[in-house]
Amino acid sequence: MSGNNIPEIVFIGQPNCGKSTLFNAIAGYKAQTSNFPGTTVAHLHSQVLWKGKVYSIVDLPGTYSLTPQEPQEKVVLTHIFKEKPDLIVNVIDASLLCRSLELTVELLELEYPMVVVLNMMDLAEKKGMKIDIRALEEKLGVPVIKTVATRGEGISELMDRIERTLGQRHRPRHLSYYREVENRIKKLTEMLPEDFPVVSNPRFTAIRAIEAETLSVDKFIAENNPQLKSALEKIREELSALRNAPAYEVLAAERHHLALKIFEDCCRVRHARVSGLEKLDDFIMHPVLGLFLLLLIFAGMFYLIFRVGSPLESWLLQPWESLRSGIHQRYGQSLLAELLVGLVQGIGGGVAIVFPYFIPLLLLMGFLEDIGYLARAGFLMDAFMHRIGLHGKSVPLFILGFGCNVPAIMATRILESRRDRIITALLIPFIPCAARTTIILALLAFLLGPWWALGFYLVNIIVVAVLGAVLTRIFRYSSPGLILEIPELRWPSLKNILQKTFYNLKEFVRFAWPILIAGSVFLSLLSYLHFDRLVNSILAPLVSGLLGLPAELGVTLIFGFLRKELSLLMMFQALGVNFDNLLQAISRAQLLTFVTFVNFFIPCLATLAILWKELGRRIAMISLALNLTLAVLISWLVRLVFSVF
Amino acid sequence: MSEAEKQRIKEASSELKAGVCSLLEVPQGEVFRILEIKGGPGLHRRLLALGFHRGDLVTLDGEALMGGPVLVRNLTTDTRLALGRGIAGKILVEPVKDVGE
Ligand SMILES: Nc1nc2c(ncn2[C@@H]2O[C@H](COP(=O)(O)OP(=O)(O)OP(=O)(O)O)[C@@H](O)[C@H]2O)c(=O)[nH]1
Ligand SMILES: [Mg+2]
Repeated sequence: MSGNNIPEIVFIGQPNCGKSTLFNAIAGYKAQTSNFPGTTVAHLHSQVLWKGKVYSIVDLPGTYSLTPQEPQEKVVLTHIFKEKPDLIVNVIDASLLCRSLELTVELLELEYPMVVVLNMMDLAEKKGMKIDIRALEEKLGVPVIKTVATRGEGISELMDRIERTLGQRHRPRHLSYYREVENRIKKLTEMLPEDFPVVSNPRFTAIRAIEAETLSVDKFIAENNPQLKSALEKIREELSALRNAPAYEVLAAERHHLALKIFEDCCRVRHARVSGLEKLDDFIMHPVLGLFLLLLIFAGMFYLIFRVGSPLESWLLQPWESLRSGIHQRYGQSLLAELLVGLVQGIGGGVAIVFPYFIPLLLLMGFLEDIGYLARAGFLMDAFMHRIGLHGKSVPLFILGFGCNVPAIMATRILESRRDRIITALLIPFIPCAARTTIILALLAFLLGPWWALGFYLVNIIVVAVLGAVLTRIFRYSSPGLILEIPELRWPSLKNILQKTFYNLKEFVRFAWPILIAGSVFLSLLSYLHFDRLVNSILAPLVSGLLGLPAELGVTLIFGFLRKELSLLMMFQALGVNFDNLLQAISRAQLLTFVTFVNFFIPCLATLAILWKELGRRIAMISLALNLTLAVLISWLVRLVFSVF
Repeated sequence: MSEAEKQRIKEASSELKAGVCSLLEVPQGEVFRILEIKGGPGLHRRLLALGFHRGDLVTLDGEALMGGPVLVRNLTTDTRLALGRGIAGKILVEPVKDVGE
């Protein structure tokens, strides 16, 4: 409960049911959304004002049940018990009503005030489902609201209902299991000692205790209260005998049957026609064609970005270049001129070099995410991932990494095994994110030709694969295999993609662009004072000695640590050339060597910070060392190869 | 449970043995009923949470190349999972004759 009387409302539901979209519809676009189970991995608060009252709403990761198994699912339970929310909003994907009700039954056992939201009503109707809301309300004993979060439908009814339910302070009753099962739970409830840490209510606690079989809590009980433990064992045996299955399955089956029963009573399904998307899905998931399509999609995507980006880039660059030469004509080589040029290059670099590639990339990624392609790529690539010792669930994370490494590393929480998590997180910094892709396209494709950029990408992916294979050989362990829900394909909502793109762009404009501008001005100042020579001479053994590059580039690496694309953008400033005549200052081989080095040399500050936070300092340091070593090695190899030919 | 009852269950299950096989061995597109989920409690719990229970009707929707995962649709709850082969091999199913639903 938030101390100052602001009621706290949490969104809980199974993965991919639209919690974050609903949250955004109420609070404005703040939470990442995509058609992939496991998009949200941490909680997100926002205060909203509705009809003169303030509410604190919380978006949580999706969880299939209240017996959490993945790290991000644990966030949900911890949140419920720590924060003791005033109201639970149980979000349900109405088109998956039957399965979703299993979690609803579990949540009702908490006996917290609750509202059920049937989201995705548009999809449920398309499927031919007719849901009787009144009947459902009666069965569940809590209010039920219909919404279509992507279109903002039903939001105001939901908020009104939340307000009313909060006022009533009505606690729902749990639904009852089969009598024999219920008796056993009751027996345990009565046996719980006075000082037993009851969560929520005794019945819920007893159910958790029974289900804890084979989990670590169970050992805890055994150590602290052997008497209770033996009673617990006996009850489990009795339950187990009822259905000839382990006790935890008996309880899960009870919820399953309750859910099925409610579903049958409240929902009619008329036969739906096969949609165009289902036919498309057969193609996407085809074992052979699907793989071709995967290649085609990514190659096509980068080709398209390049085709859109490069004419835009040259068109956008012109005014900045003429501005630059204008400044030099007017002010000569004075300090003012240098500072102004720095400013112009900082602003121009953002507008002309980053935007033309960044925006199409974000739009296309948004489309792939929302149509539901990420999980499918995981399915198609699973066999390949096994060769490098991981499994298909890492694929969506790598694809996310093409957008930005930071959320991709956060998202490794969806991997159950810590070993898989660490390896995936160590590999992600090697994936060229949108900012780096921008530079690869802007420099390599624009100056050297698209094939160079493609080749660079290919080498990049090979590096990731080889490194993956090496790492998984070091941390040996047979991975348990893939279990991944494949959500239905959905036509993305254009509004959602635009909002998402705008949100990500805003992040760039807010954080990266100011650094770029400030860095660029700062670099001008340094070079005017000849201070950059100091940095350059310190870094010279690496930059010119090992990699054979002009020593002037040394100073740009400092900025690369903040964001990698800065090193490349400041290259012009450092070499004193503009974009078009870059190749007069350095050779093609040098350009390639430098881009390679910068691409790998260090995870950017934000990536390093998130690695540290998610996986600890040791892993962050390993990542740093790994990147640095490989960057030197690979770019040195590039230099070698080019000096031979 | 009485001794006689136990005996009956045992007989019933051995009777079924005829068509019983794992999800890896079934043809695509036909309807099967989940009989048993072998393997450790970790896997079992995960599948239960994802809505795969004994008695549910399932069908094989597709499979990936080179020993890749299989795609299983749960007809009872209308959800789809990609399952690695090791895991699919631990789910035992029996054919369902009349698909009246
Ligand atoms: N057609 C339709 N699509 C929706 C609706 N609500 C959400 N979506 C889409 O469903 C997908 C999943 O939405 P999210 O909000 O990311 O789901 P989530 O519950 O937060 O998912 P996790 O964070 O993975 O648990 C997105 O692609 C949304 O655009 C809806 O009412 N109708
Ligand atoms: Mg979410």
